[in-house]
Amino acid sequence: MEAAKEQKSVYLREFEAMPATGETWLDDLRRRAMADFERQGFPHRRIEAWKNANLASLAQQHFPPAAPGADIDGYLRKLTESVPDALRMVFVDGHFSARHSDLTDLPEGLRMVSLAEAFEAGDVTTDAHFGRHADTGEHPFAALSTAFARDGALIELAPGTIVERPVVLHYFTSEGGAGMASYPRLLVHAGTGSEVRLVEHHAGVADEPYLTCPVSEIVVDDNAGVRLQHLQESGNGAWHLGVVHVELGRDARFGMHAFSGGARFGRTDVYVNLNGSGAQASLNGLYMVSSGQFADYHTWVRHRTDHGSSEQYFKGVLDGKAESVFDGLIHVAKGAQQTDSQQQNRNLLLSPRATAHSNPRLEIYADDVKCGHGSTVGELDADALFYLRSRGLGEREARRLLIFAFANETLDSMTAPELRDHVEARLANWLDDDRAGGSG
Amino acid sequence: MAMLEIRNLHVSVGGEEILKGIDLAVDAGEVHAIMGPNGSGKSTLAKVLAGHDGYEVTQGEVLYEGEDLLELEPEERARKGVFLGFQYPVEIPGVANTYFLKAAVNAIRKHRGEGEIDAMEFLKHIREKMKLVKMDDALLKRPVNEGVSGGEKKRNEVFQMAVLEPKFAILDETDSGLDIDALRTVAEGVNVMRTPERGFLLITHYQRLLNYIQPDRVHVLLDGRVVKSGDKTLAEELEKSGYALFEDNAA
Repeated sequence: MEAAKEQKSVYLREFEAMPATGETWLDDLRRRAMADFERQGFPHRRIEAWKNANLASLAQQHFPPAAPGADIDGYLRKLTESVPDALRMVFVDGHFSARHSDLTDLPEGLRMVSLAEAFEAGDVTTDAHFGRHADTGEHPFAALSTAFARDGALIELAPGTIVERPVVLHYFTSEGGAGMASYPRLLVHAGTGSEVRLVEHHAGVADEPYLTCPVSEIVVDDNAGVRLQHLQESGNGAWHLGVVHVELGRDARFGMHAFSGGARFGRTDVYVNLNGSGAQASLNGLYMVSSGQFADYHTWVRHRTDHGSSEQYFKGVLDGKAESVFDGLIHVAKGAQQTDSQQQNRNLLLSPRATAHSNPRLEIYADDVKCGHGSTVGELDADALFYLRSRGLGEREARRLLIFAFANETLDSMTAPELRDHVEARLANWLDDDRAGGSG
Repeated sequence: MAMLEIRNLHVSVGGEEILKGIDLAVDAGEVHAIMGPNGSGKSTLAKVLAGHDGYEVTQGEVLYEGEDLLELEPEERARKGVFLGFQYPVEIPGVANTYFLKAAVNAIRKHRGEGEIDAMEFLKHIREKMKLVKMDDALLKRPVNEGVSGGEKKRNEVFQMAVLEPKFAILDETDSGLDIDALRTVAEGVNVMRTPERGFLLITHYQRLLNYIQPDRVHVLLDGRVVKSGDKTLAEELEKSGYALFEDNAA
């Protein structure tokens, strides 16, 4: 505990050394967030939502805020090719990089600017929404992010704006970001009846430890639709602790597909509040976890009013001494009649040393609803293996085929199908690392 | 030399002896039928021949084309031409039939030292075999055995057999639970494939199959032993009198 206390003061000292903006609302917001973090500290295992997370060595290290990063051109090229014709904002070590970004021919009704610029200009949207949704009182890393974030993307759709081109946000940690922290933000405000498709991509070049706390706040007004492809491919040594927070209006739609394969510790909390009647949310994902990695999705789906629907379908594949958590909340408030909410989590263990925690949480206070959930943790089906082998497929090939099929199914719901090849290739490479051979 | 020769085969599952000394020889070009009631050891025999690892061979041997079959991994048996039609075909979610069949065909070709099959040639080959078992084109893109009836699964087993063209096929109750149309299709699939080079072992619970496939030999399996062997008239005799007739021999 002593060590943890000492760390708190390091982050606080750092915070206090940062210059105030002079924007009262922003400075107040940051101070409150910092106080929230100070009060909570790094979460320990006695806190229910963090009971499987071992953050001891994160708390013992100190990650100061990263400066704008070094050259990443080589890494970026391949990724820009995989989503052609996109509107693109690139952040290196948490800072907007105009020269890597492509904001030419922005369609009418769409505004994309860096948050640093928006803060500078005293932007009203940021005033109304930035840091107003992600819960700094409950999530210590949301608090840390809100206190320290200085940049990110602001995306605003005027009512009725339909954006055909995908909007891609790359958050890179460069080699210079090793040992540092970044707090990239995304703020999306989709006006009534607007639609957009987003890719939020986190990647790290550095193998050394670093900390990244990305927080996305997505406000979807009545009858608007936002689809998000979330890719967590942080560096091997990364502590990735992120939040995606979504507020849905009447008949608003949010569809998310998440893929995670990176980070030594990767956790994303997805909060979706269905505030208006008939709102719809769909959260899907795949986590691929290697020995020594920890992957965690916490979902918090809250049906606050009637006729909402939500579905969640997450799958995990774990190898060696890997550990994962899927913890999914479905909360249906008293007045949220005619809610239809489903949740499934399936985990495939390739090694006896792997651990998958699967924890559905249903809190239902309305009486006229349809809610279902299912959760499995299992190994490869021995009958299926024998069946494939009896047709001539070698054991390795048969295992590989079954693992691939298990994982690949979740890619049907990718919200950026352009990236399917990229994800499939990652999956195939992962399987080539002799994981199909047997217990890791 | 027989194509498949089973000598004094004893097999246990979890310490319990299921097969208690089976002797059986099937020549190339022959169709043998094994009949027996529930629990007689029919499926155990089929699984042991295909290489399932849940069974322990405590005594005896099985020679396939003169080679020790029991030493081979399941995939090696398949590549050398042994095929098992499963009593309960397994569902493989997420794996399309074409992908699966192509992987199987290529595994066998590789074993023979041949290159991967040409895409057009493969398509032509499977289309031809689909006609044989009256199967719908739509099946090819569907996951293996997923969401289809028991009868469809059995038909798919015969289809796979036709595609893979094994030298020796064991069909484990492929006729069970089929309506007459499906049964005729399955039987026709087998009859078309009867050649002087190919051997069959039909494991069946019901005599009805043998009205459509004429076996060269019929064996009665009771309590882990072959209690009687004969020509196809034995099946008719069995149909009339039931297994009780043979139970003294089994004791």
